[in-house]
Amino acid sequence: MINMEKKLLVEDHIRRNKRQTVVVCTLMALLFIVVILAFGYIYFQNIYIALIFAVPIGIGYVVITYSISVSSVIAAAKARPANPNIREEKLLIHRVEEMSIAAGLPMPKVYVQDSEYINAFATGKNPKEGVICVTTGALRKLNQEELEGVISHEMSHIKNYDILIATVTIGVVGAIALISEIVFWSMFWGGGRSRGKGEGNLILLAIAILLIILAPIFARLTYLAISRRREYLADSTGAYLSRNPEGLAKALEKIKQDHPTTKPKGSKTVAPLYISNPFKKMNASSLTSTHPPIDERIRRLRSM
Amino acid sequence: MLLWIAIFLIIIVVVLLLIFFGYYNRIIRLENRIDNSWAQIDVQLRRRAELIPNLMETVKGYMKHEKEVLENVTKARSALMSAKTPQDNINADNMLTGALKSLFAVAENYPDLKANQNFLSLQDELTNTENKIAYSRQHFNDSVLVFNNLVETIPGKWFAGFMGKKTRDMLQIPDAAREVPKVKF
Repeated sequence: MINMEKKLLVEDHIRRNKRQTVVVCTLMALLFIVVILAFGYIYFQNIYIALIFAVPIGIGYVVITYSISVSSVIAAAKARPANPNIREEKLLIHRVEEMSIAAGLPMPKVYVQDSEYINAFATGKNPKEGVICVTTGALRKLNQEELEGVISHEMSHIKNYDILIATVTIGVVGAIALISEIVFWSMFWGGGRSRGKGEGNLILLAIAILLIILAPIFARLTYLAISRRREYLADSTGAYLSRNPEGLAKALEKIKQDHPTTKPKGSKTVAPLYISNPFKKMNASSLTSTHPPIDERIRRLRSM
Repeated sequence: MLLWIAIFLIIIVVVLLLIFFGYYNRIIRLENRIDNSWAQIDVQLRRRAELIPNLMETVKGYMKHEKEVLENVTKARSALMSAKTPQDNINADNMLTGALKSLFAVAENYPDLKANQNFLSLQDELTNTENKIAYSRQHFNDSVLVFNNLVETIPGKWFAGFMGKKTRDMLQIPDAAREVPKVKF
């Protein structure tokens, strides 16, 4: 059973997570600035102009992404606020209220996404402004115990400061990918400016291009490594909050066996936020997956 | 030389003061968390007591032959209203949980009642408050555990002694209540 030793362990994890979140977010911002710098260099061939150009844009972008992150994630998921006049959604609000009490957190905003799939995600800038969104498929197919399990997992993402790291990374990875694409296509069409100002420049240019190509891969892999570990942690924190690992285990089992015929909606960039990746083919695992294998998660929950 | 000793002493005093402030604030913060958790439980207990008369009003018309079940609920409610200490409150609440459980079990025999929208929504509300009470109680005990760990271990123990703070009691959950599943839907 979950004992009190576990509690202390969870508290320690949360403290470490908070530190890690700050470090990773800062690194992402730095990486982003370096990429813009490289981008500026490719076009202006002058490191100082590039610097003047890169730093404000980089910082500005991160600040803007941070401030509009919640509304843009909700818009990308096409979610709407839960309606307390519909019984299913009222019960969802009840389960969220209960879990927020268990976690000792303020009540998050509750949203619903129209989708056949069983899924849910949490977002927000900090635990005081958390958001939990659940699909209508989950409301219809899960019983209240399983729904509670899913909510406990999402509440843990809020409590563990996973939501900030996810939103910032999504923003930065998206922007870096956009820049790489611009550079790639402009080179493809023979764009760019005057070339051949000596060999030193060519080497710098090559480094800049390489950086732009590698940056999104690097950012994504860093994030994925953290994301997978934090899924396990959110499972165990969730089980600790509800004192009922079986609820979440059963919900994951239902998710595993759930194969609606329609295509999943929404944008791929927000996939890491969900409780299970909505775009995943079965058993696609390892380095490039946002989530650990579902069977392993169920096994760990059942052995608590 | 004298200057260096003075600087050294000042640094030591500042560090000691910082440690003192840190512990002082931490103890106060944890204690406030416990009081706040209790306030949460209290709010939910009150909310639950307020829902009961509505429930009785709705059920009365349908359940004419279940006097005892209804009386038990009323009795538990008045025990809850008159409870003074936290532990009394919790005991009365457990009584109410048991009484409501048998009321909802009996309700299964009345299809008309089960179809009543008002009854259904009251049942949802009561389940919600019951779960909230359970989770507030859990959070209360978690907070007490963290606080007690701090004031019972060194050096927190010294600060607690200085501040006149003692360990807090956890809420005891009676054996009978433990068998009631925390989440029943």
